[in-house]
Amino acid sequence: MAELTPKERVMRFFNHEPIDTMPFFSGMGMVLLPAINKLGYKFPQVHTSAEKLAWSAIESARMFDMDAAVIPYDMCWESEALGNEISLYEDSADILYPTIPTKKWLTLDQVKITQEDIDTIMTKGRMSLIPEAIKIIKKEAPELAVGAWQLGPFTQCGQTIELDKVLKGVFKQADLVNEILDKFTDMITKIGQELQAAGADFITLREPGVAADLLSPRTFKKVIQPRLTRILDGWESPKVLHICGSTDPLVAMMNECHADALSFDIKCNIPEARKIVGDDVILLGQYDVFELPCKEETTVEQAVAGINANIDTGVDAIWPGCDLWPDIKEENFRAMVKAVRDRGNTPTAASKRL
Amino acid sequence: MVASKEELLEKIKEAVIEYEDDVVLEACNEWKEAGYDALDGVMDGLAAGMEVVGDLYDKNEYFVPEVLMCADALYGGLDILRPLIPVDTSKVKAQVVIGSIQGDVHDIGKNLVKMMFDVAGWDVHDLGRDVPLENFVEKQLKTDSEVVAMSAMMTTTMLGMKKVINMIKEKNPDCAIMLGGAPVTKDVANIFGADGYADSAGNAVSEGIKMIGRLREMRNK
Repeated sequence: MAELTPKERVMRFFNHEPIDTMPFFSGMGMVLLPAINKLGYKFPQVHTSAEKLAWSAIESARMFDMDAAVIPYDMCWESEALGNEISLYEDSADILYPTIPTKKWLTLDQVKITQEDIDTIMTKGRMSLIPEAIKIIKKEAPELAVGAWQLGPFTQCGQTIELDKVLKGVFKQADLVNEILDKFTDMITKIGQELQAAGADFITLREPGVAADLLSPRTFKKVIQPRLTRILDGWESPKVLHICGSTDPLVAMMNECHADALSFDIKCNIPEARKIVGDDVILLGQYDVFELPCKEETTVEQAVAGINANIDTGVDAIWPGCDLWPDIKEENFRAMVKAVRDRGNTPTAASKRL
Repeated sequence: MVASKEELLEKIKEAVIEYEDDVVLEACNEWKEAGYDALDGVMDGLAAGMEVVGDLYDKNEYFVPEVLMCADALYGGLDILRPLIPVDTSKVKAQVVIGSIQGDVHDIGKNLVKMMFDVAGWDVHDLGRDVPLENFVEKQLKTDSEVVAMSAMMTTTMLGMKKVINMIKEKNPDCAIMLGGAPVTKDVANIFGADGYADSAGNAVSEGIKMIGRLREMRNK
């Protein structure tokens, strides 16, 4: 049996068709410093050019044998498109992702998102660069699966208005918060559709601001779950739902949001999640993006042991619990990929082998 | 008729727990007008209420939104009572430098930890968020603060903390460094050379409130 291309592997994986080996990829930021250095780019440049965004993703995937190129990397695109200024840290020698230093809407009452804002969002700020970059990746790296992502409405709301105001508003200004979240829900659905139309092969909905160490599961069910479901219903498959932080109390509700796969970070008990969702649901995530590939003190052997432990939890593919930190230890990361490939011919609960 | 000390303390405490800002203000103003000891009002009213909030958080009855609302209520009372606490010029007040690391604009956890130091009567030098690394070092050296508390909510910013710790410890090894934020683990804090850590805004709440509890115990001994 001939080896599948990375794209074939990922697409068959999400379709629950037999594959040759366990995929090693991500649905979140995965740009890596060795790839940027090889291309001669500076970190701040990859966020403002479709070409650099595309090539940094392609090179990161190819250099380390990952199955997908995923864009974008920072979480400020939509907030910027709604009128906030971003900080790119162009003068810093450190790897710093863009941020929104100050937000134009200081209170929930000031938030004004019109239907026109939603309809024209892809023409604002840097937004048009993402579909442009997707098209470049499709053309230049047809062997790779192309992933894109969107923040969920609550987290996006916190990127646009101060998160503490949103959190308190859930109790103190519930109607207003619901109204704003509905606008973000429409906006995120629309952007995801545009990214899929541009050629994204899979899409991840990331809602890290709603974990059970921040919001109660009751609030999740009432305020968050219906909107995540609405967004996922508006997108084509394959679509992944990712939540960081404490997710054990949320697993069953996440599984009702109509995603094709669920993704978690290191705090999730994957074996317990498997018991809750059963063998048909693809489970992803959980490996530590600092401990295994980045921490100076972590040896190659420890990184391999860590990734084997991640496989042993019962995940269906190797996929990080968060954005990959760009400054990886190359030897660790290569060893992690190799370890997955070495063991990858064994089927998992939701993924069969050829 | 003036309410008794005990009645007012209970009212302040309950209002903090129920995040009733107006009631906290009213009760603290009554406390002030009655001429009761301001520090008692802070520690046995406001801080005692926040301690219960911490318990409710630990029991998953309260979550971060409720804690934030309780903190707002507490600060309302603190603004009234703190100016009335006599300054003991014979003692140097403990100082802390606090901020979110450069690249990180999240400050919920940082602000909750700050609250803990505020309640305890420390001089708090809040550098805000997205703070350039060298600013922590400069401020610590300038103020000779006993503690530097840094927070990062993302792995992508956490690594800057290590540089700050190295810079501070090199110049002032006695300074205690506290780290906080979602990606920070005990292991990370140890490797970075920190003296303490809280792994999330929630954990910062829990740890911070426990510290308030310990301070109250010490005061009552």
